[in-house]
Amino acid sequence: MKILIVEDNAELLQNMVTYLEREGYRCEEAANYDEGFDKVMSYTYDVVLIDIMLPGGNGLQLLRELKSVRPETGTIIISAKNSLDDKVEGLDLGADDYLTKPFQLPELQARIKAVNRRNNLGGEEIIRINEILLNTQTREVFIDESPVDLTPKEYDLMLYFASNKNRVLSKQNIAEHLWGDYVDQLDNLDFVYQHIKNLRKKLLKSGAGDYIESIYSIGYKLNDRLRKA
Amino acid sequence: MKLITRFIIIYLTVTVIVLGIGGVISYEIIKSEVDKELKFEFMERIDRVAYLLERGRDFHGSRRNIEGDRNLVVERLNRAVEPRDEVTDTLIWHDRLEQNESNVKVSAYRNINGESYYISTHGAMIESDDITEAVIKTLLWILGLQILGAFGIGYFVSGRLFKPFRESLRKIKTFKLQEKKFIPAEETGVVEFNEMNAFVEEMTRKAVLDYENLKEFAENASHEIQTPLAIARGKLELLSETSLNEEQYGYVDSLERTVKKLSRLSESLALLTKIDNHEFDNGDALNISELIEESITQFSEFLSLRNLKLETFIDENVQINMHPVLADILWTNLFQNAIKHNIENGKIRIELTAQSLTITNTGNEPAVTPSKLFERFQKSDQSSDSIGLGLSIIKRIVEQNDYEINYSYADGWHTIKMILNGVK
Repeated sequence: MKILIVEDNAELLQNMVTYLEREGYRCEEAANYDEGFDKVMSYTYDVVLIDIMLPGGNGLQLLRELKSVRPETGTIIISAKNSLDDKVEGLDLGADDYLTKPFQLPELQARIKAVNRRNNLGGEEIIRINEILLNTQTREVFIDESPVDLTPKEYDLMLYFASNKNRVLSKQNIAEHLWGDYVDQLDNLDFVYQHIKNLRKKLLKSGAGDYIESIYSIGYKLNDRLRKA
Repeated sequence: MKLITRFIIIYLTVTVIVLGIGGVISYEIIKSEVDKELKFEFMERIDRVAYLLERGRDFHGSRRNIEGDRNLVVERLNRAVEPRDEVTDTLIWHDRLEQNESNVKVSAYRNINGESYYISTHGAMIESDDITEAVIKTLLWILGLQILGAFGIGYFVSGRLFKPFRESLRKIKTFKLQEKKFIPAEETGVVEFNEMNAFVEEMTRKAVLDYENLKEFAENASHEIQTPLAIARGKLELLSETSLNEEQYGYVDSLERTVKKLSRLSESLALLTKIDNHEFDNGDALNISELIEESITQFSEFLSLRNLKLETFIDENVQINMHPVLADILWTNLFQNAIKHNIENGKIRIELTAQSLTITNTGNEPAVTPSKLFERFQKSDQSSDSIGLGLSIIKRIVEQNDYEINYSYADGWHTIKMILNGVK
């Protein structure tokens, strides 16, 4: 998958590129409006990440230009401003998602995947991890063709793991992904453990392998290969 | 005391003193003029008597009333005298008034046809009491007119003349920095007032500008801070993908939480700034009953995790005037507080009527005075992970929308009550 990242901050750009390239994405970079404009006009990308505040222009303008020539491109706006107006305007212009800085890289990756699934009609509706199968359209999980009864939260958790397989997700990451801003006020992240425990139990009961690994007591990881016992 | 009252008091005090001194002076001048006239009159009489004596008229033992003057005394002296005149003040018993009256007495020694004579007369043209009375009467009239004048001027000064001053004062009183409108100087036709108004304009203009700069700075700063935080966060995530041992992992995790906390802090400050900047104008009527009902579903999970029991008494279709974003933040903050500052197996009670919204929860006694809880960075538990801005945000939202909110603690229950049918 080919991704263009339009972001003027070199360090932040580097973070995203490093993280996403490990996942096997091909990342191209643009550090200002003009560079971004040139690339957007000359090549096609699966997903374009656009920072709103750019040297030489506004990211929303770039989004407008992009949508006028290649409306099918997936776009995610990245902004330091948690402003409702920007969000509404960006989404109205056809952006697929809006991320507020400081975002988490696993969250970014999950969103990119979601955007990509949505845009490649029929392409990646199904996510498969060995015997586990996620239908992102119907929000159902199957193990060896038989459905697993998951709560909406458990499904979201499963999808988040699937989008970030083989990566360590801290409790903080997971909590923020599942509960968003509501998690801010809650000191204790033990409820993450509760959900993981339930999900794991249900998967095991349905005959799946034990793919979810606890990393010290800090985070969790979904492996796509079973560890040797 | 009002300026005009003070002015009248000073004016009248000075008037009374001036009139008092003026009265004494007037009395003295009138008296000396009268005495002078009397002296001339008496001298003329004495000269007349002397002339008559020279002509051979004999006054000795004559009728008491000489030349129509009952007080005239003519005595022949046995010795020779230097001819001289004496003018003295003397007290003479006044039969009719039954008191001593101050009289002018003129005495003369004369040598006429070889004989020595003592001629004297005394009298008062006006009694000194009369002079005093006249002077006081006059002065009282003047004083009366002055008082009338003072109140007249006072009325004029406080009315017409001070109008621009009072106008400016009113504007200064109602001046609100948040409204970002300076007070324009108006032409008054009075140099001092013009100077004052120009000064007020300059000051308020500067205050508004500084305020705007500060707000802009606060907002920009909290936005600018998000990018470096995003970098730090990303680096930590990249670091967590390298092979770390448990200890190192622990550090990364706690750093991640710290970065998140920093970002929340600056976000909350930005939100407070936005509220102060009136970025959320009053929305239309909003159905808070629905908002609360919806949030209960979202929070049910957190409630069950801490095993909290929720009781609700929610009237349907309660409307408030508030921007939906603010209403959401307000309620979420209130509800989260009730969950967070609760005890295991505790209770939360939500009561919503058209008059008020009350949220009550069990919890430990706060370490901070209740009134201080709404201030920024006040936490009931300093060690807690919260940033201490939740209640300040609640308070700003409530104030901005002209509602009222109170906090109280009694018998293990925290109560936050918001009056809904308040000012609006």
